[in-house]
Amino acid sequence: MLDNVIFGDNQFFGINHMSEEKADALAERFRTLEAITDVIDIAYDSGIRAFMLNTNARAKEICDHLRRNPSRYKDLVLYPSMPYAHKYATIVAEKGIFGAINEVILTDSSAGDILGMVGKGSRILFEKDILKMMQLLVDMEMKTFRDLNVKVIFLQNIVTDLLLGFGIKDIFAGFAEYVNKKYGVEAGFNTMNLPKLVGFLHECGVEDPIVCSSINKAGYFMNPDIESYEKTVREKRFRPIAMSVLASGAVRPKDAIDYVCNDLGIKSVVFGASSRQHIMETKKLIDNCC
Amino acid sequence: MKVKLKAGFIGFGRMGLTHFSILNNHPQVDVCAICDQSSTMLDVLKKYLKIRVYSDYKTMLSSEKLDFVIVSTPTDSHAEIIKAAIDQNLHIFSEKPFSLSTEEGEGIVAYLDGKPLVNQVGYVNRFNEVFMEVKGLLQAGLIGEVKCFSSEMYGATVLKDAKSNWRSKKNMGGGCMYEMASHCIDLAVYLFGKPDRVAGSIMQSIYSSDVEDLVSSTLIYNNGYNGTIHVNWSDAAYRKPTNIVKIFGAKGKIVADKHAYKVYLREAAPAHDLFEGWNTRYITDFAESVRFYVRGNEFTRQLDSFVECIKQKKPETIANFAEALKTDMVMEEITLDAERSLTYDPVPAQKEGTRSSSLLRRFLK
Repeated sequence: MLDNVIFGDNQFFGINHMSEEKADALAERFRTLEAITDVIDIAYDSGIRAFMLNTNARAKEICDHLRRNPSRYKDLVLYPSMPYAHKYATIVAEKGIFGAINEVILTDSSAGDILGMVGKGSRILFEKDILKMMQLLVDMEMKTFRDLNVKVIFLQNIVTDLLLGFGIKDIFAGFAEYVNKKYGVEAGFNTMNLPKLVGFLHECGVEDPIVCSSINKAGYFMNPDIESYEKTVREKRFRPIAMSVLASGAVRPKDAIDYVCNDLGIKSVVFGASSRQHIMETKKLIDNCC
Repeated sequence: MKVKLKAGFIGFGRMGLTHFSILNNHPQVDVCAICDQSSTMLDVLKKYLKIRVYSDYKTMLSSEKLDFVIVSTPTDSHAEIIKAAIDQNLHIFSEKPFSLSTEEGEGIVAYLDGKPLVNQVGYVNRFNEVFMEVKGLLQAGLIGEVKCFSSEMYGATVLKDAKSNWRSKKNMGGGCMYEMASHCIDLAVYLFGKPDRVAGSIMQSIYSSDVEDLVSSTLIYNNGYNGTIHVNWSDAAYRKPTNIVKIFGAKGKIVADKHAYKVYLREAAPAHDLFEGWNTRYITDFAESVRFYVRGNEFTRQLDSFVECIKQKKPETIANFAEALKTDMVMEEITLDAERSLTYDPVPAQKEGTRSSSLLRRFLK
């Protein structure tokens, strides 16, 4: 069962889709781990138990903090999203796609151990086996979350959508199967192309997939259009998680939640916020509707 | 039944992958073949995509019956590949920059020789909603006669000396000028046209040993206005590449980035729903969804526009070769001007902390 309210993390990492100025201000505000954990504490104390966390450099610090305080966050569950594409972008620019993956995997000693363990130590072999490559990357990223309560592992949207365009079914089915088998959790997919992805996942044999996507009354970041989203949500079998429900402030909070939860009947919403008031109000709105 | 356009890809690095993902599920496109020099890449593509792959583009062009090609190779190979594609009467989308010199770019445009082939260069800012909107506002005269502007671009692309890649090799089309400043200069050309001359140009290294990391220049127009460009791809303060355009006109000013723009007006403009003083418009206010999203609306919009031009048998007018050549010309003029500045003032060569002069001499050898 997915949580009704999932707390997002974009604000902690200076991400704001609407304004680069606001993004910089956020990056400055959340410079220290303490500033981040203060907000996590407010969210947790308001009753939020589920937290989405992208696997960027700050995620490690946050997870270390969670591990140091197990009793404080006893019921906390994580929805990690990986890989953090910006981390790879520079290495890809420098060394090419396969060079970057090699570098990331091979400079990571534990992933090297995994490589040894599975007995496929040939660099050439895993270069050409993208399923194996995907598994090694998942293992490497998952080390950040060791010993923590992970509920769903998400494939981040830049990667999901790039691969969706390629239409390689093995990867999507393989990812879902791998995280289930290895980590005992469900796979989730972040996307900017919900209708297309849901149809494709069904073709891949991923039944009732968990798909997280922008869903808002303004139609913002909903491709190809809001009508296709509404039709998909109403007619297709999948578990939607709505994000960007406020469309970066373009929709009033009450209308926003009302649309997502009442009009579309969506049961899970991810939202990020920085102030106590904003967190409490949004949580309450979702609780009342979902 | 509609006949799909047959596409071939030449070069399959970061941009080739993105373009493929966008076009592979275009309802009117059938991607038939991919050419790349990486055997690993070709093996993976063959295994998972069941697509014909080539290591030599000439073999691909002669073996496949294509309608268009997407060229995403290092810039130094563009001229040769594009001319070979023109010989086969193919429509061409090429990554930016168009070519490495005005002479080379003019050669390609001349080679087209009036053939009705759709030609486009990947200057993706021309398909960004904010910049498209800003261009429309300028054309509508919202801020009156433009007096001056600045076009800036920053990113954390190069934070150490990277020697292994073509992007750090000047003769292959690497360096901040070709890689990043080209976008910033092209944005100025898109919004204001090609400047009549440039002055006070600087090309400076920050971390790179073989290429420049910073480019700045003044663009001068005979109609009386002027602009500056300032580009730094070694700025760790930016999480991702960021464009900032500031335009000052007689009736107000516009400040824009990829996500929003602000307008200051001395008098309200009811026709545009804008008040006197500051007005902010976020991309959420006017963004339109795309058929399939990968990395940004503008990436899909530029390719869909290209395909649409081919289907409609109409010339591409937003980012065609002739437009891209203007940007090439400005880049070349800035490079020459930077050299002249150094000849005029030899002092910077002696200063510690800047390697611009010796580096430039090496580029310009």
